[in-house]
Order: sequence, then structure tokens, then C-alpha cells
Amino acid sequence: MVLSFARRLAAVGPILLVVSLLLFVALRLLPVDPAAMSMPPTATKVEIEAARSAMGLDRPLVEQYAIWLGQTLHGDFGTSIHMRRPVGGLLLETLPATIELSVAAMIVAGLLGIGGGLALFALRNRRGEAVAELTTTLMMSIPEFLWALLFIFLFGVLLSALPFTGRLDPGMTRPVVSGFLLLDALLVGRPDIYASALRHLLLPAAALGIAFAPPVMRVLRTSLVDVYQEDYIRQARLRGVGEARILLAHALKNAILPTLTLMGVQFGFLFGGSLLVEVIYAYPGMGNLMVDAVRNADLPIIQAVALTYCVVVLAITSAVDALVLLLNPRLRA
Amino acid sequence: MVKLSRRVFAQGASLASLLASLPAVAAGKDSVTIGWPSDVTGWDPNQRFTPDAQALYKMVFDQPLDQSPSLKLIPNLIKAWTLAPDGMSLALEFRDDVRFHDGSKMTSADFRWTFFERVKSGQKLDIANSFRKLKDIEIISPTKAVMRFDSPAPTVPVWLAFLGSFVVPKDYMEKVGLEGFAAKPIGTGPYKLVEYQMNGRIVLERNEDYWGPKPKLKRVVIEIIKDPSARVAAIQSGSIDLTVGVPVREAERLGKVAGLKGELNPIQRVILLQVRNDQAFADPNVRLAAHHAIDKAALSKAFYGGAAVPLSLPATPGTPGFVDGFKFAYDPAMATKLLAASGFSPAKPVKIGMATTNGQFPNDYDMARAIVAMWKKVGIEAELEVIEYAKYFELNRGNKLPETTLYSFDNATGDPEIYAGYLLNPKLPFSPWKDPVLGEKVIAQFNVADEAKRIAGWRAIGQEAVTMGACMPLLQSVQTLVRKTDLAYSKYGNGWVLGQTMNW
Repeated sequence: MVLSFARRLAAVGPILLVVSLLLFVALRLLPVDPAAMSMPPTATKVEIEAARSAMGLDRPLVEQYAIWLGQTLHGDFGTSIHMRRPVGGLLLETLPATIELSVAAMIVAGLLGIGGGLALFALRNRRGEAVAELTTTLMMSIPEFLWALLFIFLFGVLLSALPFTGRLDPGMTRPVVSGFLLLDALLVGRPDIYASALRHLLLPAAALGIAFAPPVMRVLRTSLVDVYQEDYIRQARLRGVGEARILLAHALKNAILPTLTLMGVQFGFLFGGSLLVEVIYAYPGMGNLMVDAVRNADLPIIQAVALTYCVVVLAITSAVDALVLLLNPRLRA
Repeated sequence: MVKLSRRVFAQGASLASLLASLPAVAAGKDSVTIGWPSDVTGWDPNQRFTPDAQALYKMVFDQPLDQSPSLKLIPNLIKAWTLAPDGMSLALEFRDDVRFHDGSKMTSADFRWTFFERVKSGQKLDIANSFRKLKDIEIISPTKAVMRFDSPAPTVPVWLAFLGSFVVPKDYMEKVGLEGFAAKPIGTGPYKLVEYQMNGRIVLERNEDYWGPKPKLKRVVIEIIKDPSARVAAIQSGSIDLTVGVPVREAERLGKVAGLKGELNPIQRVILLQVRNDQAFADPNVRLAAHHAIDKAALSKAFYGGAAVPLSLPATPGTPGFVDGFKFAYDPAMATKLLAASGFSPAKPVKIGMATTNGQFPNDYDMARAIVAMWKKVGIEAELEVIEYAKYFELNRGNKLPETTLYSFDNATGDPEIYAGYLLNPKLPFSPWKDPVLGEKVIAQFNVADEAKRIAGWRAIGQEAVTMGACMPLLQSVQTLVRKTDLAYSKYGNGWVLGQTMNW
């Protein structure tokens, strides 16, 4: 496993390279002219051609890729066609919000998933099992944007219990230290801002997380069923250990490992799923930026955001692999 | 580093939650929260033309000239202007009491910097395209200047109140640079920008030293809420006080909710079918039949609650290019007759392509489908394709648009040159109609300096274009707006919604 982990880490570079190449070629194949898009409608053909030359779009595709890759490796993601601002700055401005939302959503998915998995396991072969299965199927079949709208209607409009736009209440000024609002609120000693940010985070995180909880529930339930076939569970029972202790202290510890791996994989999907949820909740993250970029065919932003998604997903997958390795001594042998 | 005990933190959090649950009380009646559907592209107002951002910029920056709610051109930073009879120069006199938000005085040097020096220094600005004819700006004194042009420029005063025309501070910009300015912009407008989070929130505070009428509300918060359903929910829950661009049915529904008022306001945006002069539309019978077959009143009723005014010209009622009494009739019998003359019928339809956006303006795609259905009855079979609005110009430049495109054109000024002139000029990417006979007349009309002749010319061109089937105006667009009933605001004919005109 250690060797496998090391191999996987070593593959990150080549994977990123392949992804960047596919991304670049795919976007260049789109019937979109970035030079024309960068100019106002009244621009002449001569002005558009000048823009094309300035953007390097008149060079061979391989040369364009080499230039773009070189600049990207130096942290220069180019300039947004639509906003005429450096893309790197736009990413830095929006990425922390999306990470914060995704992590919060993952916590929701984790809590619901593990709690639900335990409940499913407890209900196995009982009358409530069919209802529980139906509930998880229902949860899984509703996409995150629909959850988002349902939550807005229920908690925002009907009950007026939680805010559903932006990251803070009107009247509060966002402290800017790291870009991670919850962290920044603590760093500047503003519990009121922390509370407001947390309240604003609840609904989008729940909408995003709830759709990802059912697979976690099901994998955990199956893992627990498998683990309960092991000898050490029987031995624990013979020693007179209580069922609750067997479940939480013995079985869960082992059953959680495949669940963790699944959550790592899911984080990638969840991160991608933030696009629509951010738009619906007026949440100023990278997803919101991406939706605008797609609408305006802003290729530099699309490239950079997609590559960032890839980097984040690879980083999370690697981190989860490391965690699994840490938690399971057998894998380190 | 501030250290917090858990108890203090918990107490603070509870207090904050309590306060946060009472935003209206905390905000008082000295502020307003607006739910706006799009963000600015950046805080350099000269850089990008985004019609929906114009109102946002107008709260922070001032335009040289302004428009009244009825869209009459009125003095602003410029208190007097005189266009030379030949249209080759424009003499300007500026106010002497205008200061930027940093306290520095606005002079003609700032005006020259904004409209001439920035462009000449190679900065990539969309306003460069608005003032192509500008040769120089001669500074006579701090309050006087003359714009000089290399060909007649009769619409320059209009452009000084149009897209992207905002005066920015020369000294400050040179001192902080473009990025510094974008991060901390200052203007001469009625509000100062105090907080901005991209795609999130814009917070403005009243400029206490504003030269003009002081805004009644001290604080304006603009929440950028792009999703229409979320804007509906936000106004219904009371978390915002006003919003625009909600679906027509929702505006009508919310208008019946206690404490809310829904409005369908006709604005200076025209919805029309832009037309090619070749392919199946090379036949004038087919073009005219297509136009006669469209029941515009039915479209208005079905998609805009009847509030969108059916149009026969590429100009809205009340603007100079509008001609009272000119009507292009809804006449399906005539459409059938014209098509029959060209050998087509419902049994043997003429086939055309039609492009439309989906979501660019309310009900665009559904309206296109309704038109396709109307055409089918008379013998026109249209294949519908969806395009992105941003790609319209590129497709038109590449000659790749189909016979007709459902298009929405915004002209906040109401000037006929910006309607008929832009929509029909074959050299501009707005028009897929490239026939030189009409095209040459349109291009020549751009250089007519005499105001009376200019307006008369555009009115004639608009009528000629419609009569020959070079464009098919459909409806005057409608802005949907929902607000709390006790919030008053000035209604502008072009859809501007400005914090400085609001009060409780």
C-alpha cells in the first residue's frame, strides 16, 4: 500500500499534464473565437485580428499550449476575456469560499452518511429497513440544485429560519485575512461574523452534502455487515462486551476505512457540484465564477478553474489515501 | 492575537445570531438592500460595456451628461454643451463644484484623461469604440473643453450619457495604477464603494459631499443573486427590499402578496427578429410573410402579461425614431398570399433556420417556439437552434447566422441612430442584413449633423427597413421589478434602478 501510495503521488504530475492538454485542446476545438469575444461588439475585423495576434491565437496550437503551460507553471493563468482581470487573482478571490463550502458540505455528508449508515445497519432485517432504503434512494435521486431550492423554500421563505444569499448579513463587513471567512472571523476576534457566516453556510452546505450522504450510508452499512462476520466480533460478544461498544469501538473502526476512501472520491464530485449551488445561494465562490465564464466563453477562466478542480481533487484523494494508510496498520506492513 | 474563552465565544455567537435574525431592525430605514441579477465586470467603468451594470456604476460614478427618468438628455458634470453646426466639435462647460470621493476636484483634465488619454495610451477600454471619431479634446480651462472629431459626430452628447461613459480621476489613477483603481475605485457619484465581494455583495455609503441632490438613504447594499428563483425567494422572505428580472408570472404573483408590489415596466429594449438578406430570405415575399404571420399582441399577452408593447419599428414609443401611425399588420391571410406567390403553402412550406437565446431575456426561447408555431400555420417551417448571446456577434461576423435570429437590443438613450443605425448598419456586427442598397443609406445617415434631418432620416430608414422585410420588430421589452410597497424609487424609461432615487 505504501508503494502504491508513493506511485499514486508520483502520478499526480503526469495526470495534471494530460488533463491540462485535454482541457486546452477541447477548449480550442469549441466554435468560439476568444479574440472576438474579448472585444466590444463594435470592434472592426482589423481590431479583432490585432487582438488575436496579441493573445497569441494566430500561432500553432502546440506553441499556444507550450506558452500557456509555461505561464501556468509560473502561476500566470492569463487574463479574463470578459472581465479583463488576471485570472490568478480571480481564483485566489473565489477558491477559499468554495473550499469552505465543500468542506462544510462534506461534514454534512459525513455526519449524515455515518449516522445514516449506522441507522441502516441497526435496522437490517427489521421492519423499518424498507422505509430506510426508500429514504436513501429518494435522497440520492434528488439532485443538489433541487435540494437547494427546497431548502430555500422551506427554511428561508416558509420558516424564515436561515439566510440563503451570500456569506454574511447585510451590515457586516467581511474581514479579509486568508479568504476563509470562518477562519478570518476567528482571527480578527469577531464571533458575530463567525455566527453569521456559519448560518449562511448551513443551507448551501446541507443542499450540497445531503445528496452525497446516501452512498456513504450504504457503503458503511455493507462494511459493517462484512465486519460483523469477523471472528473478533464473536469473541468480543463472548467476552461479554455490550453491543453498542462492539459497534462503536470495534466494528466501526474497521468498517469506516472503505467509507473514508469513498468520501475522498466523492469530494471531487461534491466540489464540482458546488457550481449550481453557489449560483442558487448567491455564494461568491469559484463555481459562480465558472458559470459566468462558461456563459461568456471566457476560456482562460474555464481552463484555470477546471485545472484547479483537478488539483484539488487529486490533493484530496492523496490526503485520503494517506489517512487510510495511517489508520490501517495492516496496509503499512 | 485575540484570545477567546469558549464561554465568551458562545455568548458572542448567540448575540450575533439574535442580531442576525433581525436584519430589518438592524438596518433601520436608512438603508436598502437590492437583489441584482448580475455583477459588474470590474470597477473600471470605462472598460467593459455591460448594460445591466450601468445602474450600479451610476451610483458610484457620474456621467458627463445624464438622462431624466423620461430619458431626456440633461446636464450633469457638464452643465452646458454646444454641438457645432457641422457636427465636427462639441464645446463643453463643466460644473465647478464637483469633487471625487478622495476630495480632489474634478476638472476638464479628468474628462480628457477618461475619454482621450486613456484610450491613446493603449488601455483596453470599450469606450474607445464609442468615441472612434474623437480626434482630440482641447482643454480651454479647468471648466471648459472642446471635443474635436474627424467626421461629424452628432450623437456624441448622447454617448456621453450612455454605456461606459463615466468620468474617472486622472491623478488618482496615475498614482494607484489600473489594478489599484479597480481594487479601490473612487468616482464623483452619490455613493462611495465601501465593500465589494465579486459575485457576492456591493456595499455603498452615501457621499456626504456630493455636489448634486443628496441621496435620502445612507446605505445601499446590493446582493448579487443570479438565480431568478433565489431572487423571488429573497424578496418574498423579506431579506431584500427590491429586485428586478424575476419571471413575469412571479412578478404578477408577488404583486398580490401583502407588503409587496410587482411591476412590469416597459423599457427601451426592443425584441426583434434580425434578418439575413439571402438564403430563403432572399425572397421578399417570404420575409414579409414571416412578419405578417406573427401575432405580436398574442406574444405580449402570453409572455409579458400584455405589458410589452407590440412594435412595428425598431424604436419604442416616445423616442425620436418612433413614427405614430406606422403599423405593420398582423395578417396571416396576407402571409399565406405572399407565400403562395412564391410557390409555398402549409403543405409545401419554405424551410428556414431560426436562432434564439435561451434565458438571455424573459421567455426568449418560448417566444421563439411560439413564432415557429405561428409560421407553420402559413407555410414556413423553421428549424430552431439555441445560441449563446455572447456568440451572436461572432456568428454574424462569420456569416453563420441562420435566416433569422430572435434578438434583444438595449438602447438606454432611445436615440434612433443607436436603434435603426446600429441594428441595420451592415458594417457593424449587430446586423445580419448586408444588402448594400439599404446599407449605404444607413451608413450615410451616421454623418448627418442637422438634428431635424438626422431624426427624419432615421425614421424613414426604420420604415423602409420594415417595409422591405430587413428587420421584424416584435415587442418593447419589459423589466420586471418587485419591491416592498413602502419603498419608493424613480422609474426610468430605460430600466435604471438607482439607490440615490430611493426612499422609505
